[in-house]
Amino acid sequence: MSERGPVKAGAGPDVPSAGADLELMEHADGEANGAADGDPAGADVAARIGRDPDARVKVAAIQQIGELVRGHLELSADAVHDAKFAAMWRRIDDQLEAPATGLWSRVARWFDRYRGHVITGAVSAGAVAALALILRPGTPDAGFAGRPGAAIDVRPVALRATPEIDSLDTPGGSSTVINLDDEDGHTTVIWVTPADTVEGI
Amino acid sequence: MTGRRWLTLAVLLIVAALAGAPKQARADVTTDCEFLEISAKAGDKPAIDAELSPVEKKLKKPPFSTWNQFKLLSRSHKSLAKKKVEPVSLKIGAATATLVEIVDKSKVRLTITMDDDKGKQVANNTTTVEAGDYMIYVHGLANNDGHLLSLTCK
Repeated sequence: MSERGPVKAGAGPDVPSAGADLELMEHADGEANGAADGDPAGADVAARIGRDPDARVKVAAIQQIGELVRGHLELSADAVHDAKFAAMWRRIDDQLEAPATGLWSRVARWFDRYRGHVITGAVSAGAVAALALILRPGTPDAGFAGRPGAAIDVRPVALRATPEIDSLDTPGGSSTVINLDDEDGHTTVIWVTPADTVEGI
Repeated sequence: MTGRRWLTLAVLLIVAALAGAPKQARADVTTDCEFLEISAKAGDKPAIDAELSPVEKKLKKPPFSTWNQFKLLSRSHKSLAKKKVEPVSLKIGAATATLVEIVDKSKVRLTITMDDDKGKQVANNTTTVEAGDYMIYVHGLANNDGHLLSLTCK
């Protein structure tokens, strides 16, 4: 970890030095365990701790601080871990569809469940409808004409028949029927002259 | 009866109803007719309302050339159902229109009645006319004015 410097000669236990504290820190961190590791410098530090109460206090303090730091870091690591997992679960929850409870979802589930039946019914119904359309008797007067949606076919002017008066009643007057032809087709004029009119057309 | 059979039966009934619906719609024959009520006068200057453009050319020719001023009194659009008497509101008098039938897919047989302002019937007429052609009823009024009702159906 760092270069170990020898304790200066003449420096007593009451005179702390950076090198001595560093050795105490190494000992507290377990990096210099003394004779057990075959480290003579570590053995010296252990011996010094044994006879120097300040060194023991320092080692104990260093160990406490180390424990505190270690505990804090572990807690932080756990917190980050939980936060990451929470975020993952949120994402998973968001991606999962909420359980459907509405009417439409129930209908959809019902159709999913009976999909084969629905298809069978639809195919059968289509066949019946096709037969009904093919075998249906014709409708004489309301058929489809040239324009879609129109009940009556407006024929070209040249193909139009002359209007036919089926009946004409003009009570209290006389009538004159005039047929006019122009490029727009036929125009039937029914001119009613009241009987009491002195001057007509 | 199982659920499947019920389902098949229900779908068949629905489709049969839908297949029958167009047939019913076809039975409800209608024709769209436009009615123009026109007043006609003889004046110093010829004048024809712009709204009378569909019949303007006709009004400039005999026998309508007796007059030279034509004014649109009312305009109405009616969808006539078969055998159903449809009232046509007029400024002067009243009228009704009835689609008797559609003939040869291109002609309409119509019954038109027209009353004067006193409620007296002026005309009661049934005519078969091609779709797109015109019918014009002319009722002579006092002072040689005219009351016209033009109609065309499609």
